[in-house]
Amino acid sequence: MAFEDLLEDPVIQKYLHELVGPTGMPVAAAPPDGEVTDEELAEELGMELNDVRRALFILYENDLASYRRLRDEDSGWLTYLWTFEYENIPERLEEEMHRLLEALEEREDYERDNEFYLCEQDSIRFEFGEAMEFGFQCPNCGAELTSMSNERLVDAMERRIAELREELHLSAPEEAEA
Amino acid sequence: MSTVDETDLSEDEQAGLELIQAVGDIHQSDFWKELEVDSRKGSRILESLEEKGYIEREETVYDGHNTYLIEPIYDPRDLDFSLLMAGDMLSPFIGDEEINTNSDQFSQYIMTLAYEEY
Repeated sequence: MAFEDLLEDPVIQKYLHELVGPTGMPVAAAPPDGEVTDEELAEELGMELNDVRRALFILYENDLASYRRLRDEDSGWLTYLWTFEYENIPERLEEEMHRLLEALEEREDYERDNEFYLCEQDSIRFEFGEAMEFGFQCPNCGAELTSMSNERLVDAMERRIAELREELHLSAPEEAEA
Repeated sequence: MSTVDETDLSEDEQAGLELIQAVGDIHQSDFWKELEVDSRKGSRILESLEEKGYIEREETVYDGHNTYLIEPIYDPRDLDFSLLMAGDMLSPFIGDEEINTNSDQFSQYIMTLAYEEY
């Protein structure tokens, strides 16, 4: 098996699981060294060929696998030879960290710019405008909506944003002394 | 910020790389002064760091003279990927092309951050 060190990271396992789902996980979790055909994988893992192919194509779409096609001279059948390209995983996760950061920053703005009301009965949150439209009563159960502080959410977002910015080296660089 | 513990670097190169990573970017003409070496030695250190892939240099004019702007190159393998997690949840944007910052999934993610993680 290849890329063992990467696959030890629980976040990377989770990431692969998120991409290929539980059915595809045996394929994603045990990348062989070198090239392999979908048939070989299906046999080795005791899986349906279709499930193997589905997983391989998801990995392909995410730049984590590539293939080349060979045509059998006699039968004319095409064989797909797959190579796992897990060396791209760190870069892909770096991109995901940037996307998460962007989303957190956007959501933090929204949380700061709005006031929220809560139906404690149904645990549904409303923006101030919505709550006013409903006369500060839950449209679902009729209970009174109460003002809700989102300070803790904003604090948590702020903290993760700062951690991500530092890890991605995005903090404003100090001016070098001239 | 990660500390420099690369084994393929000399002591001078390590010190130089630490300086560059600490400031984010620096002009070559400031670099050797800051490192307290002469310009020729500074240049040799940077050439070696560039060759080994730790920094990149871009020609620029600074203070009226030609020099290089030096920036560190970071290896994504060194990143702490656990920052994608909130509790047991992975960033909800993985595998999705669109980012919906008001989705229930993302709200759940932020709640987990606020009430479990911190």
